[in-house]
Amino acid sequence: MTRTILIVDDDPMIRKLIATTLEDVAGYRLEEAADGAEAIERAVDVRPEIVFLDVDMPEINGIEACRRLRSDPVTAGATIVMLTGGGAQAESGALAAGADLFLTKPFSPLHLLRLVDRIGAAS
Amino acid sequence: MVIAQSIGHTRVVCVSRLDNALVGRAIEVSVSGDGENIVTLRARLDRTERQASARQRQLERYAADLREVFKQERNRAQELRSSYRATVRALSNAVEARDAYTGKHAERVTAYGIALAAAAGLDTDLVPGLEFGFLLHDVGKVAVPDAILFKPSSLDDAEFALIAQHPVIGADIVKDIDFLGEGKLVVRHHHERWDGAGYPDRLAGEQIPLAARVFAVADAFDALTTDRPYRRGTRFSRARAEIREHSGSQFDPEVVAALDTISDARFAALRDGVA
Repeated sequence: MTRTILIVDDDPMIRKLIATTLEDVAGYRLEEAADGAEAIERAVDVRPEIVFLDVDMPEINGIEACRRLRSDPVTAGATIVMLTGGGAQAESGALAAGADLFLTKPFSPLHLLRLVDRIGAAS
Repeated sequence: MVIAQSIGHTRVVCVSRLDNALVGRAIEVSVSGDGENIVTLRARLDRTERQASARQRQLERYAADLREVFKQERNRAQELRSSYRATVRALSNAVEARDAYTGKHAERVTAYGIALAAAAGLDTDLVPGLEFGFLLHDVGKVAVPDAILFKPSSLDDAEFALIAQHPVIGADIVKDIDFLGEGKLVVRHHHERWDGAGYPDRLAGEQIPLAARVFAVADAFDALTTDRPYRRGTRFSRARAEIREHSGSQFDPEVVAALDTISDARFAALRDGVA
C-alpha cells in the first residue's frame, strides 16, 4: 500500500515548501489540503500515515480538524504533527486535541526530515 | 497597516506594509458599507501581512539549515579524508616496517612527489588519490620473499621476474579502493621508464600516466639522497645531476626540468617535515 503524507496549511507556499522538502525522501506519496474541511475530506480518501496540520487556518482551524480526524475511526490512526506558532499554550492545545507531535513555525526543514524518517522507521 | 476612512465617504484607503515600507504600495478599495466592512478588510490584510512575514521567517530558517548542512558536509569530508589518510599510512607503514633501512621513504617520496607533481603542472587538488598512490607504491612488495627483497648479491632472472611482479600485485591489492583513483596507476606503473624499458607493462613516453612519471623522479631523488648501509646519501645537487643524466631515457624530460624549479631549501624542508 502506498504510504501517504497529508500536508495541510492555508498558505500554498508553505505547503509547497514542505512537499518539496519531503519529495523522494522517504517514499511517501504527498497530498495537500488548504483548510480544515478539505483536510478531513482528503484524509478519508487517502488514509495518510502522517498529517502535517497547521493550527492557524480560517474556518475549521487545525485544532478542530485534529479533533475530527481523531474521532473518525478511518483517520484516527494517523500520526498527526501540528504546526504551531510556538508557546506552551499552543503546544498543550495541540496535544489536548489529540496531536502526536508538534513543530514550531518557522520549522527547521532538517527537523522535519528527521521526524518523517523516525515516524517512517517506527511504523 | 494604516487604514483611513474619510468621513461622509465610503472610501477606505489602506496602505499595506507587505514590503516593509509605507511607500511600498497603496491599495484603494471602495467599500459600500460601514464599519463592519472595514473590520473584515482589516482582518484580511492583517492576515496577509502575517502570512508574508511568516513566509520570510520560514525561508530564513531554510537558509540557516542549508548553511548548517553545508558546514557539516565540509567537516565530514575533512574527517573522511583524514581517516583515509590514516588508513593508507598504516598500510604503507606496514610495508615499510619490513625494511629498516628505507626509513620513512614512502612519506618522504610522497612529500617530494606532491611538490614535484604541482611543479610539473598536475593540479594536485584535482587528483586526491595521488598522495595515497605515492604512499602505497610498494604495497605489492609484501608478496616478495625477504630472501629476494633483501638479497645482498645480484638477482638471477627468476628472482628479478618475481621482483618485477610487485607493481602488478600491488595494483591488484588496491584495485577495489575507489578513493585511490589515479593513485592506482602510480602503484602499477611506478617502475616504467620513459624509453619503454621499464616494467611491468613496458609503457613508453606519455603512455605512462603523468603521476607515475612524476613518482619515478621523486623516487630516484629520495633514493639518491638517503643514507643506505652501503653508501651515504649524496647531496641534492649531485642527485639532480644524476637524474638529469637519465632524462629522456629513464625519466620524462619535462618532469626532470620541473625538478629544478624546486629549490634545495624546499626539498630540505619537505625532508625535515617527514623526519
